[in-house]
Amino acid sequence: MEFRPDGSLLVQTALSMSRLSHEEPSREAAEITRLVRLTLGGDSTAFEQIILRYETRVMTMAARFLGARDDARDVAQEVFLRAFRYLHRLDLQKPVEPWLMGITVNVCRDAARKRQRRRNTFVEIEGPEAIDESADAYAGMAQKQERLILQRALDSLPEKERLAIVLRDVEGLSTAEVASILRSSETTVRSQVSRGRLRLKAAIERLMGGKP
Amino acid sequence: VSCTFSREMLALHVEGDLPEAAAEVASRHLTTCEHCRRFLEQLRSRQSLLKSLRRETVSRSECTGMRRKVMSIINDRTGTPGWVLRIERVILLGCRRHSYALPAFALLAIVSVSVLAQMRPLAPDINPAVPVFDGRDTLLRPEGYRDWIVVGRSAWPHGSRPDASAESATGRPAHRVYINPSGYRAFTKTGRFPEGTLMVWESAGGEHETADRSPKESPTLLASVKDSARFDGGWGFFDFAALDGTVASKAQALPESSGCRTCHRQDAATDHVFTQFYPVLRSARHGAQLAAPRGRSNLAEHLAMSSRARLPGWPVVTHT
Repeated sequence: MEFRPDGSLLVQTALSMSRLSHEEPSREAAEITRLVRLTLGGDSTAFEQIILRYETRVMTMAARFLGARDDARDVAQEVFLRAFRYLHRLDLQKPVEPWLMGITVNVCRDAARKRQRRRNTFVEIEGPEAIDESADAYAGMAQKQERLILQRALDSLPEKERLAIVLRDVEGLSTAEVASILRSSETTVRSQVSRGRLRLKAAIERLMGGKP
Repeated sequence: VSCTFSREMLALHVEGDLPEAAAEVASRHLTTCEHCRRFLEQLRSRQSLLKSLRRETVSRSECTGMRRKVMSIINDRTGTPGWVLRIERVILLGCRRHSYALPAFALLAIVSVSVLAQMRPLAPDINPAVPVFDGRDTLLRPEGYRDWIVVGRSAWPHGSRPDASAESATGRPAHRVYINPSGYRAFTKTGRFPEGTLMVWESAGGEHETADRSPKESPTLLASVKDSARFDGGWGFFDFAALDGTVASKAQALPESSGCRTCHRQDAATDHVFTQFYPVLRSARHGAQLAAPRGRSNLAEHLAMSSRARLPGWPVVTHT
């Protein structure tokens, strides 16, 4: 097990798993390669198997970026349609997931810009569906309120900082992986992450009524 | 008093994102600065809140709905990708997979041939309208000159009138003067005859009309070529009349002292060419810089001069 400096357990993400599988080709990687080739050969059911493997990850990531489930569903749909359309560009020597994450980031950016044009105030955030059911009603409400504040604080960040924060802190990717997905340098990502964390802290404190 | 230590460094240090040396500096400072330790704790608290989002995932039902929609769209579209995408796909996959290599190379070959077909020069003409030399000063008989531009008619030499009987018999002018198209085009644009200009003078009894010619009439085919690299004065003159009365397949350039060269050098209006007698060339340069005939202003004078300049055995070409 691996721990972060704050003592929390480092969650091994699917992307990290993909990185490992890149270093040591696994049966899963071979299976993905087989499915990609079948899809390119005209077997669309093979692509459905690929979607099944990554749909939760893509939709969750989109929801974290956008904070709205409906938008996330539309984004995920567009991500997989683009992936199907440009599957021939995929380098099978590399893991599929960073490629899908890159598409997701691009589609989210497009969706955020469209949404920005049609809204003037913050989006009403839907409550998480995986809240601990055993918590009492008061704790549940407090958690929901906290969740709402966090999402509003994230929404207040500039787009680049929000993307960097979500990928690095929420998705748990390394700085190098974030830089790769955003097609940026690690130095730039560090700078965005640093500014984003400070802005996020300030925004949360402001929304909580100045409570540090 | 608030500390001035870099907040940006602390924001990176909270998740271990600082390089080792910078992390060492931050750790050392934190051991002595209460204010920064408090700030770091607040950052950790916010980071924990942020990480709580990791526990949230979308429901399976939402994913299923999305997946079905995607597959429905894909199945409706299957087989109808755009041409650009199809070509890109074949080429890219051809570079990676052996099974696609053949179609990819076939496609590349088709595209290459198409492009080359567009780029290749025009197929060489069977009868190129350019002078062809055998050696330094021997010109091969021009072919296909009857498809060139007819610039005018010329009277038959030796002072006789244009052969009206021959013209009425054949239904064509008795003698014609042709210029190759490239020379004509350049002249109409610039008023100058370019290198490679080829002019042909043909009598009614020329190389292809032996059946119609009068028994007394010798077939005559004359030519002049502008080629400054070969000829003094820029022009060479050729007579294809063979001793046996036929038209030869090649002819050597006439000497500098020939009457032909002398006459053209002295009396032609434009660069050894009697443009003053060729309406086609005059009209082509109408309004442009076509020079007026030098010295003699009419044909009679020119004919008289031409008669004086002729050499024994060489027909003096006069122009109408």
